[in-house]
Amino acid sequence: MGYTRSGMADGPGTIQNLRLQRAASRSDVFPKLVAMQKNLRARHFAVFRVAGAGLPNKRKLICELENWGPGGIEQQAELMSAYGDIFLDHIEVSILPLIWNGSQNASFAEAGEFSPLIRRLESKMVGFSGIAFPVRLGALGNGYVSFLASAIDLSSDLIIDQHVRSCQVMMDLLALDERRTVPAETLSEREIACLQLAGDGRISEEIAEKLGLSVHTVNAYLGSATIKLDSVNRIQAIAKAIRLGYIH
Amino acid sequence: MEPAGSKIISREHLVRRLAVASGSNNVQAMMRLLADYVGASHFLLARYDLIQEQGLDFIVTSNWPFDLVRRLGSDLASGYARSTELEKCLSLLTPSFALLPDDIIPPDEISRQYCALTFCVGRTRFSLMLLFREGIILSQERLREVGLISAYGASFAEARDAKAERDFELTERELECLFWIAEGKTSDEIAVILGISRNTINNYITSVMRKTATKTRSEAIAYAVRNNLV
Repeated sequence: MGYTRSGMADGPGTIQNLRLQRAASRSDVFPKLVAMQKNLRARHFAVFRVAGAGLPNKRKLICELENWGPGGIEQQAELMSAYGDIFLDHIEVSILPLIWNGSQNASFAEAGEFSPLIRRLESKMVGFSGIAFPVRLGALGNGYVSFLASAIDLSSDLIIDQHVRSCQVMMDLLALDERRTVPAETLSEREIACLQLAGDGRISEEIAEKLGLSVHTVNAYLGSATIKLDSVNRIQAIAKAIRLGYIH
Repeated sequence: MEPAGSKIISREHLVRRLAVASGSNNVQAMMRLLADYVGASHFLLARYDLIQEQGLDFIVTSNWPFDLVRRLGSDLASGYARSTELEKCLSLLTPSFALLPDDIIPPDEISRQYCALTFCVGRTRFSLMLLFREGIILSQERLREVGLISAYGASFAEARDAKAERDFELTERELECLFWIAEGKTSDEIAVILGISRNTINNYITSVMRKTATKTRSEAIAYAVRNNLV
């Protein structure tokens, strides 16, 4: 059994380390989802992520991976119009799994003794029954791993296992994204220092004095950092630098 | 590899008893069950958003010796600032092991090594820290489960006081402006996007800077990104 010994004081491991443990591409995530789907005896899976994090009225769910097959677009639209808003609100306050009964004949979803630890949604809003596992990673990469079936009967064992695995899937997806958005050229120490101070509310003159540079040089560093971060101005560069972890 | 011989309980049994504890909203009882399940002797559940150098408001529930908690508080705060948000996001439910500071004497037969893992409910990140007896090896799998189930427990509490927390001091319009600024838009561009005048936008931003006690636009955006507002 694996035994991580990364000390708390050093943080949970470097990005490089974290990346090594993760999937290399989305095609590595797909089989994991198929395996989970089999465990749950479900017919389809769909992974949704929350986009537009900040604004309550701008948040929406984006489907990242699915195996709906033919007719999938309609099913997804049906699911989103029935439960989309509930999904979005729920993940802001809770990570209890969501479960619902479909409208098709003999369609049901049961969780037995686990029932007190799930939230049941209104029945017969969509064709298939299903379960959705909310995953809250933090500022980034939040969403749901959901499974649809005509009938699901779940044990607590199964629910806990699949929820833990859902968390892994969402972390895999985030790690993949992060790799894609890493700037082509990494930022230099000077650029990072200037960005950090700018993010702390210093104006260029103050940064120049603090780092012993001329104002023009500071502006040049901030300009080159903006280009490397694929941003249109320094404010966007600061926002991206924080999200990517270059500055705090 | 057997976690805590005598106290071992099955998952079904655990869930049954948790259902009872969650019904009465007894977080302490829930955590005690989970600690038993994983084979730990002491648990401490902390909220990262409330950790500060002084004060112990951040503790949700704990049966750690009080001296230990007081001593560890400041270490936690500084350790938290040292990793980036992305690193935190990528280490959800991942157990990490660390040693208690040298000047601390752990209770009898308790290992100097402790285990910590984090999880999030809503905008709050929690840390679950466990002490265990010398010589016991905790199962990684069970640790993750325990993290997840603790998050279920915290979800019950969060759903209850969500109303109060949702009520952040910034208005919807102000948040909307912040969002677009973080996307690199200028006041003129935002004026077009939102269909209001450029001066109104600037007023919103000034008001954001006043409310968040920030001096420049850049700092206001940095504040918003750090606090997950955009």
